[in-house]
Amino acid sequence: MKTGNQLAVLRFEGWDVSTPLTEYLTEELRKTIRDLDIFQVQDSGLTYEIDIYYPRKKDYWACWSKECAIDLGKKLKVNYVIAGNIQKKDKDEFLISGRLFSIDMETLVDEFAMNSSGLTDSLLFQMKKMAYNVSGLPVPDTLTVGSDTSSVMITSDFGRKRSWFKLPPIPTKVKALLMSTVVPGSGQLWVQRKYPGYGFMGTEATLGLLALISYYQYNENWGGFDENYDEYRNGTDPHLLSELRPKVIQYAAETNRYNQYMRNIRGIAASIWIVNMIHAYLVAPSDDYFDGEYFFDLEYNPDVNQFQLNFNF
Amino acid sequence: MIRITKNFHITILLLSFSCEEAKYELDNPYDPANMDLDPPAVFFHPPVVEATFSDPISVEIYGLELEPAAGAHLRFDYDPVTLEYDTMVPGPFFKGDNDPVAVADTSEGTVDVFIYYLPDMESNQNEGGTWSIATIYFIAENARGCSLEWDKSLTTLRDENNLEVTINDFGNGWVNIKND
Repeated sequence: MKTGNQLAVLRFEGWDVSTPLTEYLTEELRKTIRDLDIFQVQDSGLTYEIDIYYPRKKDYWACWSKECAIDLGKKLKVNYVIAGNIQKKDKDEFLISGRLFSIDMETLVDEFAMNSSGLTDSLLFQMKKMAYNVSGLPVPDTLTVGSDTSSVMITSDFGRKRSWFKLPPIPTKVKALLMSTVVPGSGQLWVQRKYPGYGFMGTEATLGLLALISYYQYNENWGGFDENYDEYRNGTDPHLLSELRPKVIQYAAETNRYNQYMRNIRGIAASIWIVNMIHAYLVAPSDDYFDGEYFFDLEYNPDVNQFQLNFNF
Repeated sequence: MIRITKNFHITILLLSFSCEEAKYELDNPYDPANMDLDPPAVFFHPPVVEATFSDPISVEIYGLELEPAAGAHLRFDYDPVTLEYDTMVPGPFFKGDNDPVAVADTSEGTVDVFIYYLPDMESNQNEGGTWSIATIYFIAENARGCSLEWDKSLTTLRDENNLEVTINDFGNGWVNIKND
């Protein structure tokens, strides 16, 4: 039976590992396999066109089974599919599991499991090792995180180059909060909460548009008010003044009406903006390496049966 | 993304600043609403004329919220020692497609103005409203003050059926002449 070498690497599922980190590691695996040139690795954009993970519960991994992987592989029109997960077992202890499925033969070809101790560098190293295993190549002794199989710049590289100035790491939750503060909904989009993200963005854009329309109406009426009131104040002809008086009153009423609209829109938009910021913070995944030790957190306290806002510095 | 960000910055600006409230005071003394007249009325405009001895003096006879009319007889008194009647020019109140017919008759201290709407193909009377009925020109005789007082019994407006048009109020005038 003849088969091709098209491979799709599904997004690894993170168990107690943040989404951005799992995405980063998945992409590293994808790049390394591509560099080894055994498989033709499908671009992540194409692979993610069929997204089975979102929305989903955090403790449920949707595509670990053969049926699911094969079904997805057929949809993606590839010959092989890799699915996997990264689990945090203990503090600084991770288990990386992966399965290689053959779509043409509709079978599980191989299964890999690797332990990793340490943080990003170690995980990255294990992912590269997995890339060699998947490709059926021996892992070279010289393989390191920054070895020749991949020219990816890793976190530590950045650290070395910028040792003179190091910004404190920003937790994902805070990053999402900041993004949504600048552009409503962007934080949600960043953490893959597309519907709320577009919802907040669309709502704020709609309110902005309404505010813009109100502003143009206000501006137009203000022009009329200004012109007529100026003429009224300087006029001496009773006929002209008797015609200007109702115009001044009408234009003033209109400007005040549209001004009031703008105030109302401002109030609503500001409220939604704040809700959007809080929402972005809440829906963003927690980072293992922060583990709630920094910044603030909203937690349910069963002792007092209520949510509590905790600040940690 | 840049465009979206830019739009949101505009939105922030719009949402952050409130616009100026339209505040106004309709206190122009020439506004008929501030003249303490009960319409429909006739009044002199301006109600007080300040002039020097050599100035030409003109004062308008104004109708305030008058009903449609076809003719008017307006009589008022003035001090002939202070002012000398010069001429009268009809205003736009009785002007339709045609200019009105206007006659002024003056005797010692009294001016009678007769103005008639000249009918056209569309109407036999004007539309009423707040308009200047006529402008009266005087020449100053002496430097002193002088009142312009309506003869309320003889001043009248008539509509196309020769029915009297209601005038509720009359606004007198004052001319103050000073030396150069």
